[in-house]
Amino acid sequence: MHEVEAMERSALRRNWDFGLALATVILLGSLGIQSFLGALYVWWAQRSNPAWEQLGYSDFVSRMNAIAAPQIVLLVVVMGLCVPKRLFSRKVLVAVSGAMLAVGLAVWLATASLATGLTVYLALAGLIQVAVVALTVAGTRAPSYITEGRLTKTGSGLLHLGFIVFGLVVVAMQDSAFMLPVFWTATVLMLGGTVLSFYADRFAVRHPVAKGGE
Amino acid sequence: MDAQSTFDSVVKAIDTTALIGAPIQWLLGIAAVALAAAAILPPLRRWLGHILVATSALLLAGELVLVWFHWRIYESAVVVNPQTGQVTGHIAVPLWIESEKLYVWAVVVAVMALAMRRHRNELLPGVALLLAGLVAGATVWGRPFTEPLPSFFGQYGSYLTGMASGVPAMSMTAYEGMEGARQFFYNTWYMWVHPPLLFVSYGAFTVSFVATLQMVKSRYSAYETTAYRWARLGYTPLTAGMLLGFPWAILAWQGESWWWSGKVNMSIMMWLLYTAYLHARLYLRRRGMWRLVALVAILSFLVLLLTYLATYVIPGAHSYA
Repeated sequence: MHEVEAMERSALRRNWDFGLALATVILLGSLGIQSFLGALYVWWAQRSNPAWEQLGYSDFVSRMNAIAAPQIVLLVVVMGLCVPKRLFSRKVLVAVSGAMLAVGLAVWLATASLATGLTVYLALAGLIQVAVVALTVAGTRAPSYITEGRLTKTGSGLLHLGFIVFGLVVVAMQDSAFMLPVFWTATVLMLGGTVLSFYADRFAVRHPVAKGGE
Repeated sequence: MDAQSTFDSVVKAIDTTALIGAPIQWLLGIAAVALAAAAILPPLRRWLGHILVATSALLLAGELVLVWFHWRIYESAVVVNPQTGQVTGHIAVPLWIESEKLYVWAVVVAVMALAMRRHRNELLPGVALLLAGLVAGATVWGRPFTEPLPSFFGQYGSYLTGMASGVPAMSMTAYEGMEGARQFFYNTWYMWVHPPLLFVSYGAFTVSFVATLQMVKSRYSAYETTAYRWARLGYTPLTAGMLLGFPWAILAWQGESWWWSGKVNMSIMMWLLYTAYLHARLYLRRRGMWRLVALVAILSFLVLLLTYLATYVIPGAHSYA
């Protein structure tokens, strides 16, 4: 009975992981297609009207921002949902994800500012991700990953923490005096995390097995 | 500063570079044809390794000539404030702009082709064919030795003309334009870090693309692993290069919606696609997933090519480089 439950939980987690990864790929692809179409449009508009940059560029930017905004919001939401999956079981996972969304939504409605709602949502995701990284570094069994190896997992954790911090820079800190230091922190986390998750096997210290099987 | 002597010194550096570089340019043209022939025609395949070594040696020799040329330009090309007569600085023209971009990409791919060990025999023809295209493009289209840095010399020539005019207003306008370009474009740290990181990633993605095509053709999973290894090698400098552009863009393009400019757009799309590729690859063991992974990998490289071409096609801050 316990085995069946464990298998079901494992299958559900894989499906949840796959669903989130698929949603990420679709959103990234969709933003990519928008970027491509935008670039084509700029090329066409500048060829057909040399004064387009003065006359039509600001309209173009507003339209592109309006189309991209819901996709970026969804991407941020998906990124936030990727965080608690490392830590919680099925029921808690649903509850935590729901609570994060609810708090973000409530702040958005209360302040009438989507950026503030997203900032709070990302800050919550960031806090959970810090816990995930700390538990991963400590080597506890709690955080679950698709990848294997503590260093690879730590790299993945740092990389995603970097993305969350970078998300905070874009959403909330573009006019802040702290923008640059926070940005550099995000850059170090992302690049360090990328290198660690790609090349963990090169950094791993292998302990020789003592004779006698100890 | 004497505008005439500076002009003479710059012209001398251009002429000397053309004198030494023109034969290299011709030889590289021949090497490109030989590489392509050896990559396509099986009877010539056994010569491919030798031709690759010769092409790489030529490319590196040419790069040394370009380094010398840039050093001469740095020594000669100064900017002087016409009001004080003080030299505000030398111009350090980066080695990877304008007519030299394709050349740098070719050098990176050549070095990677030489370093390639795994599946060398199977992947080398494809990599060599792409390298032949890059070398041909660099010599026929770029012409870094015989027609070097047209935008820079056009700009610097205008500056020298303005300085030599003897009209204070013209001198001042010429100075302000050139000094701005020196400080915020040529000599900025960003121009010395961002493009080379991107060219390293372009080189690695080129090899990854060939491995993906080989995987699609042969359905042999080891090629997929090779494609992934080269893609991850390319992804790190790509991410670093693009991230380092962020604070610079915020400063240089203050108040502008720079993220929707054509080149930035295409670059973001390329990064998004490679990120999607690396995410999709986590689920490679799922039924039929390799097709999607291969499709995204191929699409990513095609977008990389478009991103590179966007510099020339879509006007904007990047087309200046």
